[in-house]
Amino acid sequence: MSPVRRGDALPIYNRIGVLRAERGMSRAQLAGLIDVNPQTVGALERGDHYPSLDLAFRISWVFELPVEAIFSRTEFGPLSTELYRTDRPPSTTGNGESHA
Amino acid sequence: MPETNLIERYQGFRTRRFLQNERRYRTWLPRWRTRSRRRILVIALGVTFVFMTAVGIVCHFDMVVGPLLWLPACLLFFPLWTMLQIVSGRQGDAPRDALDEWEIQQRNSARSIGLTVTQLLTLVPALYLIFVGALDGDHGNVPYAAGLLVVTALMVGGCTPAMILGWTQPDPDPDDLAS
Repeated sequence: MSPVRRGDALPIYNRIGVLRAERGMSRAQLAGLIDVNPQTVGALERGDHYPSLDLAFRISWVFELPVEAIFSRTEFGPLSTELYRTDRPPSTTGNGESHA
Repeated sequence: MPETNLIERYQGFRTRRFLQNERRYRTWLPRWRTRSRRRILVIALGVTFVFMTAVGIVCHFDMVVGPLLWLPACLLFFPLWTMLQIVSGRQGDAPRDALDEWEIQQRNSARSIGLTVTQLLTLVPALYLIFVGALDGDHGNVPYAAGLLVVTALMVGGCTPAMILGWTQPDPDPDDLAS
């Protein structure tokens, strides 16, 4: 975890592991792309280390996503749930399909 | 960034030499790179330092046996220290440009503890030299014993960062080793 001079350390969650698995990318491959040691990628995924802004931007560049899609102050839910969430308003057609 | 002054050129030289050595030793002692094996090395080094301290104390009383005991202490220390440095990737004394931000953070924490340990342990032989030397001015063994204790204290402090990192680093991830 990154050093904090004072105050409580606020959590930073990330979905690096999910994005890496989705792309079939090994830790070593990602580490090579962002120029860090593979163990550092492991530390990021476990939440042992919060990345600097520079490293966060390098990671977002690799996944071609905005930083806030990869890092968040609140815990991420499963990607599938976010894509096909069940708490949407019920469909007016009554056949279970929802309209965007 | 272009190397502009002497310090930066020296840092560049250190980094190149470190990376060159890292490539050379990366595959050495593969079975000793697990955390459990690294911890064995750290414990063995700790025992060696206790032995060195005991040798320093023996030197206070016996200037014949004491200095002779320092030889086996060194014979124990150098192989253990070299092995620990190889299996921990010398992260404890690596130049800044050879490490990423996570490694720098860990190295700095370990070095901070190492500095504190050095300061505290070096105080002991210094106080011994001041007080025992003043009280017993004719005791010729005191400077030699204090010298050995200072050397031991500096060695403990110097080795502490590598010992901390060797103890705390997790096992290499199979995913990292496979690729």
